[in-house]
Amino acid sequence: MPTSAPAVAALLGKISRTPLSVMEVCGTHTVSIFRSGIRSILPPTLKLVSGPGCPVCVTDQGEIEAALSLLDRGAVVAAYGDMFKVPCDGGSLASKRSRGLDARIVTSAMDVLAIAGENPEREVVFLGVGFETTAPATAALVREAARRKIRNLSVLSFHKRTPPAVEILAADPDLRLAGFLLPGHVCVILGHEPFRFLPEKYGIPGVIAGFDPDQILLGLAEIVREHELGTPALRSVYGKAVRKEGNGKALRLLEEIFEHRDAPWRGLGTIPDSGFALRKDYEAFDAEKRFSLSVKPGTLPPGCRCGEVLTGKITPPECPLFRSACTPGSPVGPCMVSGEGTCGAYFRFYKGDSL
Amino acid sequence: MKEKTITLGHGSGGRQSTELVAFLLDSFRRRGIGPELEDAALLPGGYAMTTDGFTVSPRRFPGGDIGHLCVCGCANDLAVRGASPDFLGISLVLEEGISPEEVSSYMESAASTCAELGMTLAAGDTKVVPSGAVEGMIITGCAFGQIRTPRTLSMSSIREGDALLVTTSVGRHGAAIASARFNLPVEGLLSDCAPLWPALSLLLHLEGLRCMRDCTRGGLGTVLCEWAEASELHFSLDEDSIPVSFQVKSLCDVLGFDPLYMACEGCAALAVAPSDTEETLRILRQSPLCGDAAVIGRVSSAEPKGMVSMRTSIGGERLVDMPWGEILPRIC
Repeated sequence: MPTSAPAVAALLGKISRTPLSVMEVCGTHTVSIFRSGIRSILPPTLKLVSGPGCPVCVTDQGEIEAALSLLDRGAVVAAYGDMFKVPCDGGSLASKRSRGLDARIVTSAMDVLAIAGENPEREVVFLGVGFETTAPATAALVREAARRKIRNLSVLSFHKRTPPAVEILAADPDLRLAGFLLPGHVCVILGHEPFRFLPEKYGIPGVIAGFDPDQILLGLAEIVREHELGTPALRSVYGKAVRKEGNGKALRLLEEIFEHRDAPWRGLGTIPDSGFALRKDYEAFDAEKRFSLSVKPGTLPPGCRCGEVLTGKITPPECPLFRSACTPGSPVGPCMVSGEGTCGAYFRFYKGDSL
Repeated sequence: MKEKTITLGHGSGGRQSTELVAFLLDSFRRRGIGPELEDAALLPGGYAMTTDGFTVSPRRFPGGDIGHLCVCGCANDLAVRGASPDFLGISLVLEEGISPEEVSSYMESAASTCAELGMTLAAGDTKVVPSGAVEGMIITGCAFGQIRTPRTLSMSSIREGDALLVTTSVGRHGAAIASARFNLPVEGLLSDCAPLWPALSLLLHLEGLRCMRDCTRGGLGTVLCEWAEASELHFSLDEDSIPVSFQVKSLCDVLGFDPLYMACEGCAALAVAPSDTEETLRILRQSPLCGDAAVIGRVSSAEPKGMVSMRTSIGGERLVDMPWGEILPRIC
């Protein structure tokens, strides 16, 4: 595939004069950056900081515990694959499955309709996790379940909203971020508006980019350009995929099914208005209500510094548990569990400055 | 072993599988009667032997079925050690309720692959277990053959300067299975499940042939990591040289998988001395299954030793590590 990457990297080297830190918010960006070796061709002035944008990583321990408690009560719990290894005090979906409980991997929320149909005598619960990219699929599932009047299907909605978390990071005086690389797929749904606070309120460039290395480098070049010129803006290098007004259909669906609520983020604490909860009209499908669950925010295991990793305050090798007590085989914190978690990415792709 | 229970992660190839195997072999090793960890064992008298169990869901997949897979898997383990696949044993564990026609269809494809290879079914066994005790069926093969090369093909033969090759494009079996399992059909995506002996047997006269391995569970990435660790040399790969089909790339993009770690069932990795690299490629490319054969990297004494690095398409550098645990599709 033809790539403009070396040219853009060379350009970056020319225009980047002052040292600056840029956060890539999204875990898919983090992995693409590592997998393509982007860090190794950036100018030394440009530091990339990985943010909290892996949905697995920020799913709170209390939220995982709630899902496991439903397995213990005999429900079928369906979830996306990368949730399976995330540990909490009570184990993980994978460890419950290995003891014979009925946890199932789905690649589409709509698959849950078939599972509910095939198991009419059992409660089937979908663990709804992810940002604005996966929340519309959960919303579509709930709407379809309501339309078909399915009685044995419900949803644990632990979906999270990206903009409130980004704002917390933008406002953090310790971080002093010079720009945000924003995830293209989230902005395909949301459009530009929800991130406009970055340049307008905080004077920080926000650039929306896709996930291949060319896109990421273009996005970084745009951030550096705006930073050097002192003209912060919200821009997209993702082309026509991102419309300024977002995806109306998906936004209306989110609005119809969900309302905003305060939500716990693992390592970050509770962030106001950052969660998607089912509206009252759909409470029959709300597993928290149906099973009278009270989801309590969990605490990180002793020594785990995932909170600081998720906010870019430290890099994984600075955590004393990294590579010693905490490995992908026995993760302590969530950033090590997921393939898109910052610690997992460092573990797999980075062995110190020689590589 | 650190974990208290065996999980699917221990069965996915990669680091956790290595740990499980070491744990299970302990009793044998303590008594000095454990095996070396290669695809097939080289036995006194010039014979080679291997055994391999197969459980795949779905049992019939784009490009093959569990019967074909069993013969190819066993025969390929012999082939990469330079042994001809001569005899096969098959043990079937069948779940009560499975249809005899279905099982016999797998026997038909197994027999046809054996016939193609000149392999004889020499032994077999069947068990039927109650419904729920296994999912459908498990088929375990044991293959036996004669070593056809005077040199020992082994990880310990890998030397600084060797070229690294693959015999065809990588990841097709794993991608085809994932496509069937997750109901994401990709047009033209077929498992690469095929016997390697017809192609690899043509290389055995080359003095520079050092080591071969079929890239099954864990894929090419896992094989090369194991070689790098065992040889304590540095393996550098060139991303653009690694053949990956458009279909495999697409599926991996959707599911968040890395083609390097996707299983192959008809692709081998080779380490070859520089003097014989061109000849190896020339011979391989004449075989109908190896048209995409390519040199993908080099072995060197550079740092870090025991590790695999990759020169990426955009000119960057990164590490290639062994995968951990079950490879799961990602959220977004």
